[in-house]
Formats: sequence, structure tokens, C-alpha cells
Amino acid sequence: MYDIVGKQKYFSGASAVLFIASVGVFLLWGLNLGIDFTGGTSMELRFPDTASRPAITEMTATLAELGISNPRLQDAGEAGVVLKMQYISNEQRQSIIDAYVGVGVAEESFNTIGPSLGAELKDKAIVALILVLFAIIGFVSYAFRKISRAAVPSWVFGVGAILALIHDIVLILGVFIVLGKFFDVQIDAFFVTALLTILGFSVNDTIVVYDRIREGLKYRDKKSFKQIINESINSTIVRSLNTSLTTLLVLLALYLFGGESIQYLILALLLGIIFGTYSSIFIASPMLLVGEKLLKK
Amino acid sequence: MTQRLKIRLALVGILILAIGAGVIDYPKGPNIHIGDYEKEVKVHLGLDLQGGTSLLYDADVTEIPADERAGALDGVRDVIERRINAFGVSEPNIQTIRSGAEDWRVLVELPGITDITEAINRIGETPLLEFKTEGEPPEIPEEQKLEIRAQNEVTKGEAQAVLDRVLAGEDFEALAKEFSKDPGSAEKGGDLGEIQEGVMVPEFNTAVFETGVVGEVIPELVQTDFGYHIVRVDERTDVDAAVEPPVAEEGEEATPAAGSTARARHILFNTIPEEPQFQGPFYEDTQLTGEQLERADVTFDQNSGLPTVSLTFNNEGKELFGQITRDNIKKTVAIYLDGSIISAPVVQQEITTGEAVISGDFTLDESKELAQRLYAGALPVPVELISQQNIGPTLGKTSIERSLFAAGFGMILLAIFMIVYYRLPGLMAIVSLGVYFLVILAIFKLWPVTLTLAGIAGLILSIGMAVDANVLIFERFKEEMRRGKSTRQSMDDGFTRAWSSIRDSNISSLITCIILYWFGTSLIRGFAITLAIGIVISMFSAIIITRNLLRVFRVKNTWWYGIKRND
Repeated sequence: MYDIVGKQKYFSGASAVLFIASVGVFLLWGLNLGIDFTGGTSMELRFPDTASRPAITEMTATLAELGISNPRLQDAGEAGVVLKMQYISNEQRQSIIDAYVGVGVAEESFNTIGPSLGAELKDKAIVALILVLFAIIGFVSYAFRKISRAAVPSWVFGVGAILALIHDIVLILGVFIVLGKFFDVQIDAFFVTALLTILGFSVNDTIVVYDRIREGLKYRDKKSFKQIINESINSTIVRSLNTSLTTLLVLLALYLFGGESIQYLILALLLGIIFGTYSSIFIASPMLLVGEKLLKK
Repeated sequence: MTQRLKIRLALVGILILAIGAGVIDYPKGPNIHIGDYEKEVKVHLGLDLQGGTSLLYDADVTEIPADERAGALDGVRDVIERRINAFGVSEPNIQTIRSGAEDWRVLVELPGITDITEAINRIGETPLLEFKTEGEPPEIPEEQKLEIRAQNEVTKGEAQAVLDRVLAGEDFEALAKEFSKDPGSAEKGGDLGEIQEGVMVPEFNTAVFETGVVGEVIPELVQTDFGYHIVRVDERTDVDAAVEPPVAEEGEEATPAAGSTARARHILFNTIPEEPQFQGPFYEDTQLTGEQLERADVTFDQNSGLPTVSLTFNNEGKELFGQITRDNIKKTVAIYLDGSIISAPVVQQEITTGEAVISGDFTLDESKELAQRLYAGALPVPVELISQQNIGPTLGKTSIERSLFAAGFGMILLAIFMIVYYRLPGLMAIVSLGVYFLVILAIFKLWPVTLTLAGIAGLILSIGMAVDANVLIFERFKEEMRRGKSTRQSMDDGFTRAWSSIRDSNISSLITCIILYWFGTSLIRGFAITLAIGIVISMFSAIIITRNLLRVFRVKNTWWYGIKRND
């Protein structure tokens, strides 16, 4: 048996460092929000070959003529261009296509979102995150309501689970802020989807460990709370790792071969499962002990 | 019933389920026919997988009372749906979206359509059909009349002053250029060109052909409906008045008499008519509009063979139309489209059938378009396009191929891991996962759930969770085995003890799915739905299928369970 609870300070320390780093990059660079939240347009055009693809400066000039200022143009694939700009009307969209129809342009994808819709989705995403957190804290408190009063009240389990979840969210955000800064990876509705899913998955892991602790407390003998926690972690660790591993295998295949449009959704899920597994083993359960100590005082 | 029989029955049930699901899953499998009920069984692909356009409209309902807003939004959806159907899109999805008190939206999804400029224009236009009857023009108030009269007096004074100057010998042409309000002739020094007798308004006609002396300015102002004229006749050819001019028949343009002609100049000073002037009868609004239309079709006139548009009113419209025709026999009823008159047929008799025909100078295409536009009706409230998304068909196809490949690859990795690590139970878990997959696909086809790229990701994630339930059970089972229990006993205890973990963890995931569904745009909803279905079915597959399979294929040698035990 590994003494995981005994080495708690190392794990907590590592998490604390990553947590602070994530908050640091957030304060430093902020979130690179995608058009889902800011409103705007993303348009992918494909030309028959590189020779027929107009130069970026030339396209910028064409866009300026159509009243579109400050577009961001990126190469995409062999003869493709991704245009990112403000919210545009269908007339403007048609004009852009018409401008290059002579060289055989094809519109691969077009997505435009009004600014008010973006702001609304942002509010909704924040509300959804908070809702999920509260729903989970409520559910965990309910599921563990019959727990032995000798240890800690059931809401401490809820709080422990939430702390682990906040840990996961902040760390993933930290990674995506860095990716956003250096690789222009944007935080979009898919990312929020991934985040919410991870909350479900991570709490899944946490509940399995808690369930074991609940059982351990029932047949307590003369073991200390600390001992019970450590035994529970040890008896579920293989299961936690195996579950994560199987899910990671599938996600990894999706990440490598699944296509670009959901690549970052998958990446967020991958990271989330890694952080979630880590936090349910090394953060959520030891937190119960911290809670017990605090309540004793 | 013995335990053995129970297990056998369960196994048969699982087999039937797997085969049933397999038949449904089979590409181009049979459709469902139950009596008149017919349902096509197929997977519905989302726009991101098959390509197409998604348009989100925001309806402005601020102008209408709160309790009528929901109805108005449904009206918007119906109108858009009719317009889209006229456009000929297969399987459009048009739905209202209301989340919160502020959002009144209509989502339009057009699969396979990427050149959508015309579709957008079609959705946005609002044709307005009105029926009007002949009526008395509104009275102009006395006060206003006095004002007009006073102003016209001023105009008369100005005209008189100019006439005095002409009579005093000033150049007629120069004065015409300066003062005449008749834009056509003022440039030419007031020259009207050659005039046939009887073409001009009577007062002017009399002045030119009777009062006027050739080469002289008529020393009085000539008053017509247009205003005051200063007239000079330059030439006149008098023809024998005994020749009868042909009588203009009703409906025909009066042919000018092959009679006298003249050449004249004039200087016009416009006056404002005291009574409003109309071309033809004055038309009054009625209650009958395009709103009471039930349908509009292209028909052909029986006599001329020309295309016409036939209208069928709903009950309210039928009553109104009956009343209008009853009150207006031998009078015209005008049909206005977008504010301009398109036809004004004379009512022959009361029409109680609620049917009417618009005949005009239509080509077949015009009448088709008119029928479609009328049928589509007007939007009850203004809408604004707030989001638009197009996905090219090739992009969708690539996505589905790649994600299916990835899913298959991931499944193989998963199977290898499970079998190597858990041996016999691992194999059973994979078999039950296979059944799980067949069932999921069958549900997708039957429900039908719209499958999106995010949905596929959700599905694959649910596979991970399905495996999780199995792993939980197997780990528990091993534990019990190590404690020295029999295989059978360990298995039962393993399942029982793992159940609370599986239940609680899956409930928390389902809660997340519900919130995701609430949060989501249609793409994210697809993810939430597939994940939720996956979670429920995965619980079933772990608890029922794996368990029964393991009970049936039980072996003595514990190596098969990955356990070394010294008995």
C-alpha cells in the first residue's frame, strides 16, 4: 500500500504551483476568446491551387473596400485561407466570394455571430459552469448524507469534490491560455462543452473514491480517518487509472485522426481527464482530512 | 425458475436485442410500417457532417403584447417554413428557440444548401397582400380648403403679373423658360408641339381651338385643373367640323379625331386642387389581407389560357370576402401587392365559396412566384439575422470519415487493453460493448437523434464511461476473489458493491448533461444528448450484459480472471 495521504504536501505543493501559474497567465494574458463569445466571423476559403490564391495583402485590401477593417488572415492547408473578422452581413459575405469567383474560390465554411449573441453565450457559459458546480455539490452532499457523523459532515465531501473540480478547470484554462497566446487557440463553445464534461468525469472519479471511504467508515474497526482515506485511495487507484487510460486511448485516437474541427475539444477532454484523475486521487480525498482538522479547531 | 434458467433467458434476451439492433443498424435496413404509420429508419447527420447552412433569426416582439409573443414566434416559424418549402430544400429543420424571457429566435437549418444568398433573401422578404373596395375619398377639412384657396389666389396673382408683361410686349419664350411649371415645354419656350383637337383638357382645348386667335396671346388667364395658363396659338388648321369624329367605345382609348390641329405655347402656373384628384376610383382598406389566405395556386384562365393565381381564404377570409363582394356588385375590388395595385376585377356576383382569382398580365413564372409569395404570407414580426453558418459538403464528409476511423482505432486499442489486462472478463466487456454500440446506433436511427461531430465525440466519451463501469466491477470482483471467496460469490459481490459507485458517478454525469443541454447551441446539445444516451446504455450494458455473460461463461481456472490464487 502506498502512503498517498502521508505525502500529501508534495502533491498539494505541485498543484498549488500549477494553480498559481494558471492564475498568473490569466492575469497576464487573459483568455483568447473565440467568435462564439465575442461575436464575429470566421470564413474558410479554398482556392484550386497555391498559384491562384491571392496574396494576404491583396485580400486585406479587397476586404477593406467592402468595409471590413482589421481582418486576420491565416493560411489554411495548401491553398486555403481562414479569414477572421467582425460580424458581416450575407451581402458582404457574397461580395467576398464574388471577388474571387473568377479564380475558382470555394467556401469551405462560414460562421458569423452577432455581437449580442456572443455576449449572451458568454453569460450562459458562466452560468452553466456555476450551475454544474452547485448541482454537483448538492448531489454529492445528498449521496453522502448518511455518512458516519464521527468523521466529517456530508457537505465536506461536496466541498472537497468542488475544490478538486475548480483545480481541474483552472489548470485546463491555464494550458489553453498559454496555447491561446502562442498558437492562437481560441476558447469557444466547444471548449466550454469540454470543460463541463470534464466536471462530470472528474467528479465521477472523486465519487468512486468517496464511495469507498463511505464504505470504510461503515466498517471502521479502530482505524483512523486518515487510514481509511489512504486505504480507499489505494483500493480504487487501479480502477481510476485504468478507466482514465481506456478513455485516454480512445480520445488519443480521436485527437490524432479525428479531424481539425474538434481537435481542441478533444485536447481539452484529454487534459481534463488527466487532471481530473490526478485531482480525484491526490486532491479530493486528502481535502477531507484538511476539512476534518479545520472543523476540529 | 432456477438461477440457471434465468441466466439462459437473459442471454437469449441479449441475443435478440443484439440481432434486432443489428437489423436496424444495417445500412439501408427495413423501414418501419405499422398500419398507416411509416417511418424511415436512418441516421440523421448534423449540418457539420453533411454540409449545409444554419441561420439564426432574432424576432423583434417588442411591439406586440406579452401573451401573444409565443404565437407570433410560431407564426414566424410557419411563414419561414413555407417560404423555405417553396424553395425546395430537402429536410429543412426550422424550430423556434426560446431560452429566457428575452430570446425569441428561429433557427433555420438547410442541409445541403451552401449557396444561400437566395434563401436568405427569400426568408427576409415580406409580401403584403391587401383587398380594397371603391369608396368615397376622404373629405378635406374646410380649414385646409381655405388655405389652399388662398394659396391659389397668390398663384393667380403671379400668373396675372406675367400675363401683363407678355401683353406689354415682353418675349413670350423667355418668360416661359423662366416661369413655366410645365417641365416638358418650359425648356422649349412653352412650345407644346402639334396638338390634336380634343386631346387636351376641355378648358385648354376651347382656348386653343375657339377663343384663341392665331399669332396672339390670349389676353386672359386660362384656368384648368392643372392651374393657370398663359396661352398663345401659333398655328391652326381648321377642318370641316361636319366630319363626325369616331365615337370612343367603352374601355378603349379615344382615338383622336382626324380633325383640327394646332400648334401652341403656354406658361403654366400650378395650383393645388381643392378636391383630391384620383386616377380611377378611390380605394378603401378592408379587413381582408393575405393573413386570411389559406392557399394560393397557379391556375389557368379557361378562355385565354393565361396563367392566373387562384386564392382560397380561410373561414374568416371567406366571410369577409363574401361580405365585400355582396356590397360591391358591379363595382371593382382592387388587389394590392406590396402597396401597388395588381388587378381590379369587377365583381359580378356575391362570392361565398371563399375563392378568388387574380388575373393580370403574368407569365407562368411570375404567377408561380406570386402564388408562392402569397401563400408564404407576411412575417408577423420583423426578424433579424444574427448568426449564419455554412459548412461545405466536403468538409463534413471528411470529418465523418476521419472521426469514424478514429473511433474504430480507439476501440481496437481499448479492446486490446481490456483483454490483456482483465482476460476473460475483459473479453466479455468488449462483447457487451459491441452490443452497447449496436443498441446506441439503433437508438440514433429510431429516435432519431441528429448526429453531429461533437455528438460523435460524446459517444466515444460514453464508451470510455461504459468501460469505466466494467472496470469498477472487475476491480471489485478481483478484490473479493483475493479474499478467498468463490468465483460465483465474488462476482455477485463485485457487482453489488460496485453498483453504488456506478450509480452515483453516472448520475452526476447525467446532471452535467442536462445543464449542457440547457446551455447549448444545437451542436452542443447533440453532444449532451449522445453522452446522456451513452451513459444510460453503458450502465445497462455493464450491469446486465457483462454480468450475465460472465455467469454463463464461467471457468474454474482463475488465470482467466487474472488472479493467482493458492487454493
